[in-house]
This record gives sequence, C-alpha cells and structure tokens, in this order.
Amino acid sequence: MVINTREKGDVVIFDIEGEIRRSDISDLTLHQLVKDQLDVGKRNILLNFQDVEFIDSFGVGEILASYISTHNLGGKLKIAKISKKLYLVFQVTMLTKVLEIFDQEENALDSFFKE
Amino acid sequence: MARNHLYKILSRIVEIKPGEEVISLLLFSYYFLIMAPYYIIKPVRDAKYLIAEGSLNLPIAYLATAIFMGFFVGFYSRVRVRVPRHVLIISSLIFFIVTCFLAGFFFIQDVSWMPLAFWIWANVLVVVLSAQFWILVNVVFNPREAKRMIGFFTSGGILGGVFGGLLTGYLGGKIPDYLLFIATGLLFASIFVVNSIFIWQKKSKGIYAHPDQDEKGGRGKLSRVGFKDCFDTVRKNYYLVLLAAIVTLTFVVPTFIDWQSKVVIENKFQPDEYTTFFGYFHAGLLVVPFFISILMTSSIIKRFGIRLTLLLYPLILLLCSLGIAAVPGILFAVLIKGSDKCLSFSLNQSVRELLYIPISQEQKYKAKIFIDMFLNRFAKGIGAMVLFVFIFIPMNWQDRVKIVSVIAILFILAWIFLNLKVSKEYTNTIKDQLKMKWDRADRFVAETVDIDYTKLVFDLMESKDRSSVLYSLHLFDLIRQDKLTPELRKLISYKSDEVKASSLGVLLEADETTLMPETEDYIDDEVLQKEIKEIISLDVYQEIMRNYVDKLMVEESDDSEVGKMEVAKAIGLMDAQSPLVQKLEGLLQEESPEISKYAVESAARIGRRGYVPTIVHKLGNPLSRQDASAALEKFGQRIIGTLSDYLGDAEEDIEVRRELASVLARIGSQDAVDSLTLELEEEKEDLDLDIIDALDRIRCEHPDILFQKENIKTKVAREIKKYYQSLVRFIESIPEGTTKDPQQPQPKHLADLMTNIFKLLGLIYPHEDIFKAYQNLRTGTVDSMAYAVELLDNTLEKEMRDLILPIVEDISPDQKVRRIRNLLRVSPVFKKIHGKAKSL
Repeated sequence: MVINTREKGDVVIFDIEGEIRRSDISDLTLHQLVKDQLDVGKRNILLNFQDVEFIDSFGVGEILASYISTHNLGGKLKIAKISKKLYLVFQVTMLTKVLEIFDQEENALDSFFKE
Repeated sequence: MARNHLYKILSRIVEIKPGEEVISLLLFSYYFLIMAPYYIIKPVRDAKYLIAEGSLNLPIAYLATAIFMGFFVGFYSRVRVRVPRHVLIISSLIFFIVTCFLAGFFFIQDVSWMPLAFWIWANVLVVVLSAQFWILVNVVFNPREAKRMIGFFTSGGILGGVFGGLLTGYLGGKIPDYLLFIATGLLFASIFVVNSIFIWQKKSKGIYAHPDQDEKGGRGKLSRVGFKDCFDTVRKNYYLVLLAAIVTLTFVVPTFIDWQSKVVIENKFQPDEYTTFFGYFHAGLLVVPFFISILMTSSIIKRFGIRLTLLLYPLILLLCSLGIAAVPGILFAVLIKGSDKCLSFSLNQSVRELLYIPISQEQKYKAKIFIDMFLNRFAKGIGAMVLFVFIFIPMNWQDRVKIVSVIAILFILAWIFLNLKVSKEYTNTIKDQLKMKWDRADRFVAETVDIDYTKLVFDLMESKDRSSVLYSLHLFDLIRQDKLTPELRKLISYKSDEVKASSLGVLLEADETTLMPETEDYIDDEVLQKEIKEIISLDVYQEIMRNYVDKLMVEESDDSEVGKMEVAKAIGLMDAQSPLVQKLEGLLQEESPEISKYAVESAARIGRRGYVPTIVHKLGNPLSRQDASAALEKFGQRIIGTLSDYLGDAEEDIEVRRELASVLARIGSQDAVDSLTLELEEEKEDLDLDIIDALDRIRCEHPDILFQKENIKTKVAREIKKYYQSLVRFIESIPEGTTKDPQQPQPKHLADLMTNIFKLLGLIYPHEDIFKAYQNLRTGTVDSMAYAVELLDNTLEKEMRDLILPIVEDISPDQKVRRIRNLLRVSPVFKKIHGKAKSL
C-alpha cells in the first residue's frame, strides 16, 4: 500500500494505492498518518480510494480509528471514489451510516468548504 | 504615540485592550455629558415640584410619568425603526437641548403647569438618553467586553452626576433660574462626542460591528419592531419575564424610598433651601457610587459572581427599611436614600446590564425598549398607586413613613426571591446560546456500527480468494453468532467477481430491501451448527488436528502461514476444554500479524487469563494493536488489576501503556476509573493525554460513574500551572512589535494542555456544559466565545474559576502574562499542590 498526501485549501487528501491490509503495511499505518496531520493542526481529512481495490478488517479498523481521532478533535474525515464493491460491503456493515462517502473528489471537497 | 500613552493611562484604571482606549473614553464622556445635565435638571425638578405641589402630591407626578411613558414608548419604538441610530440619537439630543432651553425660559416666566410637565419631561430625558447610551454600548462591544468595562462607563455617568449635582448645589442659591441653560450647554457638547463615536464605529466596521446590528438602527431584522412586538418578546421568554419582574421591583421599591426621604426632608428644611440641598445631596450621594463603580464593580462581580452581586442591593435596602420602619427620622432617611443611590447607580446598574448578556442582540434590543424605557417608569406608577392609598388615610408623616417601610420590605423580599430565580435562569440561558459542535465519535461509532461483525464481514470477503477453509470458518462464525443476514447472504452468493462487478451498479441503485437477487443455495443454519459442533468434539478429530498442527507449527512458508491462520481461527470456535486449545499459546507467539489477529481473537473467546501478558505485549506493534486491544476489552473487568499493573510499569513500552489507557476506557467501569485516576496522580507526563482522554471517554459513555473530585482538582491545577508556564514562555518568545495573540494557533503542547484541562473539568463539572464552553472557545465566533467564558464563569467554583478565566478571557497578552504571574505567585491552589508534592 502506498499513501501520498496533498492539500487543497484546508483539506488534506490521502491518495491511497493498493489494498489496506495487515500484510501490506510496511512503514506507517493510515491512522498514524492521519494523527500526524491532526498534530499539526489539520482538521479536514479526505481519503481518496480511487486506487483501492479492497481492504481487510485491519483496514476497516484503521479507517474507523482515523475517523474517531479526527472527529474527537472537531474535524471531519470523509471518503471519496470508493469502488462499488467496497461500497456495497460498507452498506451491508452499516459503515455508510458513519462515514461520509462521495463518488467524486470535488463533491467531497465542496462538502468540506460548505461546512 | 498619543494612543499608546492613553492606553497606558486607561489600562491602570480599567481592563482594556489596545485599540479600545479611544472608544472607551468616548463612551465614558458620552455618559458623563448626559448624566451631568440630568443631575442639574433633577434637583430643579424636585425643588420646583415640592414647592408648587408638596410631597403628598408626588404620587401624582409618578403616575402621570408612568402613563405618559406608555404612550411615549409606543411612539419612540415606531420612530426608532424608521430612523438610523446616529440620526435618532442626535435628533433626541437636539430635541432635549431645545426643550431644556424653553423650560428654563418658562420657569423664569413662572408658568403654572411647568412643575408637573417638567417632572415628566425630565423623566423622559433620562430614560431616552440612558437607553440610547446602553444600546450603543451593546452595539459596540460584545458581552464579555462590556462586562470588563461596564464599571468604567457607569463611573462616567456617576462622575457626570457628581459634577452636575455639585454645580447645582453651588449655583442653586445664586442663579437658580439659569441652571437649565447650563444643562443645555452640556447636552450640546454631547452631540460632538456622539458624532465622534459614530465616526469611530464606521472606521472600525468589521471589527466591532455585530452581524445583526447595523448602523441604521437594525432596520433589517428589526424592521417591524413596535411596542407590541417588544412586549411579546418579553412575554414569551421566561428569562425576560423574570428580568422584567425584577426591574419592576427595582423601581417600585426606590419609589417608596424616594417618597419617604422627600417626606422627611420636607419636614426638616425650608422650601428655599430645597434646590441647594438636593444639589449637594445628589452630588454627595454620587461620590460614593463613583468610587464603587470605578474601583469595585468589576472586582465585586468577579469575586461574588452575578448571583451574589444581584442580592447585595436588595439586602442592604432591606436592612435600611427595617431601620427607617423603627426610627423614621433624618438619619435613616439619608441612609436609605444614600444606599439606594449608591448601589442603584453603581452595582445594580452594571449587574442589570449584565443580565442582558445571554439573550440575542435582537431580543436584547426589543426587551430594552420595553423594560428600560417603559417598564421602569410604569413600575414607578405602580409604586405611586400604592402610595396614593396613604395620602388619603389621615395620619402623621412618621406613621406614613413606617407603613410604607413595611410595604417596601415585602416588595424587597419578593425581589430577593426573583433575583435567586433569575440568576439560575441566567446560566441556563447562556447554555442555550451555545451549541455542542461535536460529540465524541467513539461513542457514535460504537452505537452505530457492530465493529466485530463488520470486521468479520471484511475478513470473510477478503478470505474468499485466499483460503476456502478460512472463508468457511468465517461463514460458520457468522452463522454461530446469528449474524448471517439476508443482505450478507446475497452479497457472498455471487460466483465470480466479474458477475459481482457488473451487477453492482444495478444493485446500488436498487432499494436496500431488494439489494441482491435471490440465491438458490440456502444453508440450514441450525443443522450445520450442530453437525460442525459434533465433528469438532470428536476425539478422533482432535487427535488428527493435533498432529496436523504440530507439523504446521514447525513449517515456515506462505502455505503454513495460511494454515496457522485457519487453525487459530478454528480454535476460537471450539470449547475452552478442547485439547486443541492448548496449541493457541504457540500461535499467540507467532510474529505474523495475520496469525496473531486470529490467535488473539480466539484467546479472547476462550478467555484464559494466562493469555493476557502475551496479548498486552502485542499492543506495542501497530499491526497487532487493534486486535490485541479489542481482545483485552473482551476479557473485561476481571483483568483490570493486571492491566493497571502494566499501565503503571515505567519499564513497559510506552506505546503499550498508551493503548492500555484506551482499553481501560473501553471496559469503562468504576475500577477502570479508579485505576486511571491513580495513574494520573503519578505525574507521568507522557501518558497524561491518553489517561485523561480515557477518563473523558468513560465520563461520556457512563455518566453515573463517580470520579474522585479532589484528586481530579489537584490534577487540573497542575495542568493549569504547566499551561501558565508554557503560555508565558510562548508569549514572551514572540518578538516585540509583532501581534501577540495566544488564542490563535497555539503550539501543540499548549493546545494539548488546554484539552487536558477541559477534559478534567468535564469529569467533575457538568460534562456537556464544559464541552460546550471548550468547543466554542476553540472554534466559535467572537460572541460565542464570550458566551463560553460567561458559562464557565457561572459554572466553575471560585478557586477553579480564578485559574481558568485568565486563560480563556479575551484580554491582551500583556495583561494575561501579568495575571498569570500574579496567580502563580499568590494562588492558594498552587500553594496547596506544591505542599502536596513536597509531602510526597
């Protein structure tokens, strides 16, 4: 898994490539990367899942832990461009009730700016 | 340069920030220039009326004023919405200048109806000009700024009163007929000050302008404001009803006092001495409130809070009323009138303005028109009607004074009761003004998502292409837990990913109830469970599997890793007594996070305490942390002692100890709280953030759990001390000449300390109130920050309030540093924690 970071306005975007699995983590976890951004005062986080095929239970845990850390500080964590397959599993597991998911990055960014 | 000099002078008298010096001085002068002429007009009014009509007819004047004010306020509120604010104020001043001049002329001509007309006119003048002044103060400053400077503005008015009173006392015996022309001149001077205020306001627009107030008098939202609208605003709001009732009593009681003192004075002095006496009397009475206002108002309010300050005025009047009821002579007449004047113009005026803080600007504007312009005069009318009764009962003046005192005492008791009610409602109203901006997300996630189920579904989906055994085990696990929902059955029933991918687009658009096409292969869950259980419990199965696992454990390949994952998962589905469970210990030792995941899950299901140390150490690995943490949570209450030992072990990996705080939070019991609190006392700075967050989480999720108040308070004081020291260093590190604003982005360690302080406060004070205040201080508007400070001011106990307010109040960095340094030196709280540290 490779994670690249960029910023648009006050939103930090994580472009994630590969699969978020236990076996694919070599250096820093997604949650640690999110916490690093929170530590420097960033509060709006967008996870770009365009190049993520699937995730395992570890990946779910990382996303939820990142969501909790961000929201506990009054920030927002959202997801964009998730695959349809993954979205369906998110629906079945009720994750869509917690996570804000957008089909396009622009829509997600707009939602941050509107807030 | 001149501004800097002015700031230095004013900052010694009043708590102002740089940039506020000019407007503060202008408002001080404005109030001075409207109260000085009033205190010339007032003795003239009193003297002329007493000479012409006598004290027994005073109630007629009170009543006539009340009736006239009813009509006048209706007229004024209609004019108010049509005319921009600055035009209205200047037009009002011009009207009073012209009429004051004419009154002086008519008095020289000795026109017979003048005493009563002048009485009413003088009351209209003071009501209109005072209301305009206080509305302007509310426009220019937000509530906290006004609270800071209210004593200074009030003292401007009082100083004006002293000046006007002394002037009248001195000139009353020499040129009594020309006093009103002097008042005219002072009113004229105030026009220039008012104009300067509006010029200043225009220049500062954007900094001081409030969104719902425009310089045209709020013609937007308030365009339909009429007398009825103002009345309805008060009527529909319980807090405003209480406020109106208090203001009514604040004016009814002084009406009795005024009448009592005038009756006594009338019987002690000659008519030609009235103007001079009243002039000196009023001036003398105002010297005391001037010093109370400028020197004591802010500190009294700060020290005692709004609740006790509100009680001070009626309690003193109660004592004086008891005195005059017992001895109706000049001593108590002067004492009661003196106390009334001293306190009504200093403390009571200030605290009454502060009671408007928690309501919106729109409500404030409407309520002020009704309460401050109409109701206070109407209240005097009520007082007058009560007094009327005694005018017609034949008795001597001493008995009249005594009976009125008894009635005054009854009204004062009602006033005290209402003050207690309003101070409680004051805090509630502030709370309503603040919105909770976010909740703890962990609670929301836990309530919305079944995390174990979710992870199991993802593991199921992930294992489909990896291991059919693992896939089947996950499926069986779901069946066993009765969590194989119809939606999930449909999701997993597709035979190939291609089909899945092509169908998903259609599926996602479909209604959730028909999410997936029906599948043909249904499994009878009960039969399946029974059969698998029987197979697993067979001795022969256990024997075969044990041999298989033994071989597997010595292998090191990708296949063996998957095999170990399968075994680790399978053990979790067996009885704790099954022989294969013994193999779990070895699997727990595996370094592979994937094997570890299944092993710790199974260990939690089997629940043997012997697994705990191994699982605890897995908290140090970011890849195993989630699973280990969830597993330890499942062990629950019975391992709190063990977890506490690890948490307190300084030799243990810090990451492990941090995560343990989180595990204890998730267990969320009284023992967990006690254990975390114990660690808090140990002053382990690297763990503070996690332990305090854990306690906060427990407080949110289990509000019934008790926290050790004294220990928490000690910790808060320590955190505040650290914050103070860091903040002083931070402010002093900013080079001279740059804008010092410690509220805006703070270094992380300061922000963390602030978070800790508020989380700790939330453990021992109402959690929601503390967090409303914290969140609005962090991310609110200027006004919501002011409300947040006000909420803290009224929620925290004194010793805690004294320490917190310097951190959160909107004061200049220099003042902040000064106050912090002083507190670090003298605060008994810090001395106490220093003593505790020494004894340890």
